[in-house]
Amino acid sequence: MNVTLIDSPYSNAANIARALRHVGADLDVTRDADAIASAAKIVLPGVGSFGAAMQWLVETRINDAIRKSVANGAWLLGICVGHQLLFEGSEEMTTTCGLGLLRGEVRRFDGPLPVPQIGWNRVASRGELFDGIAPETAFYFVNSYAVRGAHAEVASAEYNGSFTAAAQQERVFGVQFHPEKSSAAGLRVLRNFVACN
Amino acid sequence: MQLIPSLDLLNGRVVRLTHGDFETAKVYGEPEAVLDALEVPRGARLHIVDLEASRTGAPVETEIVRRLARRDLVVQVGGGIRSVGDARRWIDCGAERIVVGTATAVDPELFAKLVETFGAHRIVPAVDVRDGVIRIAGWQRDATASMQDVFARLESHGIGEALVTDISKDGVMRGPSFALYRQLRSLTRVRIIASGGVSTTGDVVSLARLGNVSACVIGRALLERKLDLAEAAARVATPNAIPERVIPCLDVRDGRVVKGIAFTNIRDAGDPVECARRYEEEGADELVILDISATDRRENTAVETVRRVAASIFIPLTVGGGVRDVETFRAMLRAGADRVAINTAAIRRPELIADCAAEFGVQAVVLSCDAKRVGERWLATMRSGKELTALDAIDWCRRAENLGAGEILLTSVDRDGTNSGFDVDLLRAATSVLKIGVIASGGAGKLEDFRDAIESGGARAVLAASLFHDRVLTVGEVKRYLEEEGIPVRT
Repeated sequence: MNVTLIDSPYSNAANIARALRHVGADLDVTRDADAIASAAKIVLPGVGSFGAAMQWLVETRINDAIRKSVANGAWLLGICVGHQLLFEGSEEMTTTCGLGLLRGEVRRFDGPLPVPQIGWNRVASRGELFDGIAPETAFYFVNSYAVRGAHAEVASAEYNGSFTAAAQQERVFGVQFHPEKSSAAGLRVLRNFVACN
Repeated sequence: MQLIPSLDLLNGRVVRLTHGDFETAKVYGEPEAVLDALEVPRGARLHIVDLEASRTGAPVETEIVRRLARRDLVVQVGGGIRSVGDARRWIDCGAERIVVGTATAVDPELFAKLVETFGAHRIVPAVDVRDGVIRIAGWQRDATASMQDVFARLESHGIGEALVTDISKDGVMRGPSFALYRQLRSLTRVRIIASGGVSTTGDVVSLARLGNVSACVIGRALLERKLDLAEAAARVATPNAIPERVIPCLDVRDGRVVKGIAFTNIRDAGDPVECARRYEEEGADELVILDISATDRRENTAVETVRRVAASIFIPLTVGGGVRDVETFRAMLRAGADRVAINTAAIRRPELIADCAAEFGVQAVVLSCDAKRVGERWLATMRSGKELTALDAIDWCRRAENLGAGEILLTSVDRDGTNSGFDVDLLRAATSVLKIGVIASGGAGKLEDFRDAIESGGARAVLAASLFHDRVLTVGEVKRYLEEEGIPVRT
């Protein structure tokens, strides 16, 4: 199955590429907006700052390319900051809007537990992305920001209150955790995405 | 599990005694002022001990209890209750429940009369235990009743909850008596209000995980701000939400896994990629690679090993050894590490922690601290434990946290390679003052060691090298054991 992985400099694309290949994806790793605009299945990775990552998408016009392919029926998976970029905006960077493919806003994890969240956390999930995954399976998270109670939430976890661990609206998916670091469970999520048709 | 702030009253003021000795009384002030300062929420349970009454046998601080009960607090009060009349005086003051000590152990007739008069739900039997023996009367002499007998009698009275204090642990903040509460779990259906030794948020979480502890009384730790009530309440609300981690460590030299005792006598033990794959298969939550030769040899043999291992696993990888500056840190990340541990270089130049945190994020920065016991404290060491510094290890960990370390890998140099158990005292000393997580390292020898490092030590992860490498225990066995003991792990 063909998957187009966006080679963002604000991401750990190499690790995600390795995991996607491991689950059988035929991978095109690219920064070419035209290739992304015509892709059938896209993965948007991201780590670090929401603002820097979004800025890069805007400068390269990959933001428009993603919107265009999604409008044409492409499948899309955002990972970590890539997941956050799917939403309308972030508290982290008030001047930068997200892609706006999903409703909701990214906010800082405030509360008694230390931020960032670093480590495994149990996820209550449903839907095709989590097919074959037992309830309360743990995934690996590294994040200071999250969406809480997203409209399109399909998985949630608890950290200073409940937050959206994964979201799905039609063919647009996002996961806040790192599937490429979540051992067998993470690979299963990627395999499920690769198998979507 | 409920958290019950505890105030010991003497001469109208809040005090704390150590080992029940009146001479050691430390004064904290007026009760209302203390409660306000602690931000005790409305509707909370409150545990009041009338110390003078516990010694003389008659209620003294009745006026204070009356005032506190009016503040929307659910007050349980103890001390000096040796007759139905005493108990009635407290109830008349507005106490919701009365804590009955002496009579519980030695006066079954009075205890029965109290239950009959006020109802089992208004009686909190208090049992003081030292070395498995029930003690009474202001801790001055031993009672004769056995724990079995006392708890069987409590059950027959319909008592649902009893306050159990391990008085050897009380007020010294070395941790609650998890072993005692575990023992009681198999001895009685009565739920336990744990008391004594609670000094960290980790203690409270560990108590909640035991299952038979319905509440916990917190005294000195709250008064001395070792523990934040809101944070503890948040952690206790979901004590099993976040799994604790089991981390195998590969000590690597020149691209081969090696092992040694107390950082010396090193011998070859295998291929890192093979080991890493096996560990992920067994359920390792993370992998640590420590290049133990790098700092000395001044060359970066680790990078190639990291690249090979990172390309063969799908769990987080932490790498340490030989990280001298931001550039070597970056090289490790580029090679596939998720996090990088810095040790000697950070001691030489602490700003390196801040520089790396600013460049790569705090989640990427682990401070590796090799601590050696010297007298009553621990000193940080450099060069894999070979060189002692003047830095207090705990102060150093705190400073690293402030500089931007995301986690501490804390190794006991004394225990490393001895299989004699993690240094729980060292772990407690660190976890009681740090907000960030601590990975326990050095000394793992048997299953209980892993439990104790998390339960008593407050570690958020446990690490072992040779034990896993030699298959004395597998990662899977450790995780299954921890789960049986009520500690959440990823399965």
